[in-house]
Amino acid sequence: MAKNIYIGEIFKNEEIAQDCFLMSVALHSTFAEPQPGQFVMLRISGISEPFLARPFSIYSFQRETDFCRIDLLYQVVGKGTQILAGLIKGSQVEILGPLGNGFEISQSARNLVLIAGGMGAAPLSFLAEYLDNKVCSGSSKIYFYLGARNSETLIGMDKINNLTCTAVICTDDGSLGEKGLVTQILAQDLKKYAPDQTMIYACGPKPMLKELAKILQGTKFKCQVSLEERMACGVGACLGCAVEVKGKKGMAAYKRVCADGPVFYIDEIAWKKI
Amino acid sequence: MSGKNNINMSVKIEKLKLKNPVMTASGTFGYGEEYADYVDLNKLGAVVVKGLSLKPRAGNPPPRIMETTGGMLNAVGLQNIGVEAFIAEKLPFLRKFDTKIIANIYGESYDEYKKIARKLDAAKGVHALEINISCPNVQKGGLSFGADPKTAAAVTRKVKDATDLPVIVKLTPNVTDITAIAIAVEKAGADAISLINTITGMSVDIFTRKPHLKNITGGLSGPAIKPVALRMVWQVLQKVSIPVIGIGGIMNAEDALEFLILGAKAVQIGTANFINPQATMDVIAGIEKFMQMSNVANINKIIGTFKP
Repeated sequence: MAKNIYIGEIFKNEEIAQDCFLMSVALHSTFAEPQPGQFVMLRISGISEPFLARPFSIYSFQRETDFCRIDLLYQVVGKGTQILAGLIKGSQVEILGPLGNGFEISQSARNLVLIAGGMGAAPLSFLAEYLDNKVCSGSSKIYFYLGARNSETLIGMDKINNLTCTAVICTDDGSLGEKGLVTQILAQDLKKYAPDQTMIYACGPKPMLKELAKILQGTKFKCQVSLEERMACGVGACLGCAVEVKGKKGMAAYKRVCADGPVFYIDEIAWKKI
Repeated sequence: MSGKNNINMSVKIEKLKLKNPVMTASGTFGYGEEYADYVDLNKLGAVVVKGLSLKPRAGNPPPRIMETTGGMLNAVGLQNIGVEAFIAEKLPFLRKFDTKIIANIYGESYDEYKKIARKLDAAKGVHALEINISCPNVQKGGLSFGADPKTAAAVTRKVKDATDLPVIVKLTPNVTDITAIAIAVEKAGADAISLINTITGMSVDIFTRKPHLKNITGGLSGPAIKPVALRMVWQVLQKVSIPVIGIGGIMNAEDALEFLILGAKAVQIGTANFINPQATMDVIAGIEKFMQMSNVANINKIIGTFKP
């Protein structure tokens, strides 16, 4: 009964890559510690359009002495994010969260393989940071496959550079790192990892995740994916953010990305319908 | 019923006594538990749960929602766990709260409506039924029952025969004359009427040339529909004598008061919950403040004070 919307104050909102912004918001220190893969619903205070909040995955979270700081990455794709990009320091936003189920953290896997495409770098670099700080010891290693359209749109490098991990960068046009889709590069590397000693974590555009599902089909790799869908409430009530999962006897069944996800095991999703 | 400053907010809808006139609208508050971390359910006049069908329903394929100017379209398609799972899994939780539980029900045939009503009647902890004869997003039943006075009356009669619980009939605005439906369900024995359900609408992606909703059409809710809802509530109030519950685009206490002043005995808060999980609490507090400011101790002295 204690949860509520937090009013946050923007203290940084800058373009870090083409059409991609990093927003830092100061929140009251009672804001709960988010787990990697969780998200927040964000609304600009005092405006009537757009009037619904939008989901944003969490890129960073820091506890300062008397407040906490949450970092979000977003791409300018429509009216709402355009307005968001125009907000200046001191503007207020309403934040509900942290919401949803984050990534299940594997304590036993030797290979922690992270695959991010485009904006998928936001939750996965948060995860990588978490794994690097809290999980990884001598016996487990992080392999981070990071893909983008080109070098201008690539995000997440600032964080990855500070981590102990093997990073594989790829761009569709070859302007940075390897040329090709992140899924293609991973497919080539897959034989390096023993399925029973590996946990794969992925986030990115739907076609990328769909391709990943195809690559992993028939293998014994365990893979968690973080999904995105249009949402209204973020707490499981509106049933707007449905994703089709494999139902019994071929019947359609849907789960809520917000409350049942946003992280799912990849083999749970009915990719053929997506 | 808040003891503070002797403000009395309790209202009666036939034999259903509510501590205040603020309910949640079906489909916007899940089964109550989704918002229990945010809202003290004890403080609500009533919780109206997500529409229940006889068997579980998977709902429509996504995308199911789209924001439009001042509102949102949805085509969820009555995804629900079914009446039996509701009674077994959700009702025990809701029974713990000191509020009224209203089960919204939906059937594809008269027989289904009757069966669902009987099951809920036998379950402990349901205080009233709200009949959904107005869902715009499903192929069978729903809207087709609600768009014709004869079938609307027939559904009402079937449900009334199957239960002793108060029966509220939720009307669709997607008809030429909503008062004809209202009169018909009153005659058929409805204890109250709630209106409006969503207004059918659509939205087009100009780049892909596709509809924003997979279902193509959906139901519009949110602030954009409030003036239409007020107009329809006003029209219905002039034609029936049973209590009317106002629904449609209520975002704050002022919006709720508009409906109450017209003569609605209670209101339901829907889309506002999505934006502010505590919208219902804010509306209750705002009405109370308005009563204090206007020196009115009893909410019934506000209801129906419209001066046309």
